[in-house]
Amino acid sequence: MATEQELSDFLKSVEKRAFKRSVYHVRNDEAALDIVQDSMMKLVEHYSHKPAAELPMLFQRILSNCTLDWFRRQKTRNALFSNMSDFEADDLDGDFDLLETLNTSGGSNQTESAEKQTERAQVLLEIEKEIQELPNRQREAFLMRYWEELDVAETAAAMGCSEGSVKTHCSRAVQALSKALKAKGIRL
Amino acid sequence: MKHSTPQQDQSLQDRFGRAVAARLSESTETLPYDISERLRAARMQALSTRKAAQIATAPHLLVNGGAATLGFGEGEGRLWHRLAALVPLLLLIAGLIAVNMLNDDFRAKELADIDAAILTDDLPPAAYTDAGFVQFLKSRLDQAQ
Repeated sequence: MATEQELSDFLKSVEKRAFKRSVYHVRNDEAALDIVQDSMMKLVEHYSHKPAAELPMLFQRILSNCTLDWFRRQKTRNALFSNMSDFEADDLDGDFDLLETLNTSGGSNQTESAEKQTERAQVLLEIEKEIQELPNRQREAFLMRYWEELDVAETAAAMGCSEGSVKTHCSRAVQALSKALKAKGIRL
Repeated sequence: MKHSTPQQDQSLQDRFGRAVAARLSESTETLPYDISERLRAARMQALSTRKAAQIATAPHLLVNGGAATLGFGEGEGRLWHRLAALVPLLLLIAGLIAVNMLNDDFRAKELADIDAAILTDDLPPAAYTDAGFVQFLKSRLDQAQ
């Protein structure tokens, strides 16, 4: 059973990422805050007796469910709402090369100039924008896998799908992001 | 078109994913103050529900009217509390059954006493079925009145 300190530390470590993830999904700060708060409450109310090691996966699942609930409520509120992007086929380019978008020079941690900081902020905004453009499941799989650092099995369990689906979603998300960033001349 | 093995593809994909994630992590460090504060408040509120749940499971005082009694919390204690509430009902049922059995015994004893009195009387029991004797008793009763 997780102690109160463990639970507090865990929530502290994930709250900001959870907020940003929710913002990418719902594109609304207020709604994202509500979703994160709901998720925290549910985790504490129903799963605080679980071991601390199980909390990350449980929280990701709760966060996904709360986000889905939010979309369902929105759908009920606004019958016109529908996210057709989930059903769109991805236009994958076989000739695409990931290496071209990865900057292999290796970044240094030296003090950045104001110009460079602005440039980084701009790049970050573009990345966030492209992440928001991803289909829901691809975005979810990508963020859980690489940002939350869950492995494929954990991501599959949190998303309620097969490991194969997670790999496919991640691969497509990487291809789409990489292609979009390359088109904007952004190298990571 | 470049050809690469699935392992190389996977490795590149992972590198790209991690590079994007690293950039995203930068964005969480520069969240506005009000958002950070609201997240902190949400966390504190969530943690307070755990404390409230722990208090609810501890024994607590039940106040009914002017009387206060020590009650049980949630969960297993509550079950025992409910079972304990059944004890007076079970005692009442057991008492009613005992009273009924005692009543039956008294009734049987009373009937046995009457039978014994009839059988040990000088007058034979067959006399009571004789119509002439019944008439005789009635006329005796009328004369006495």
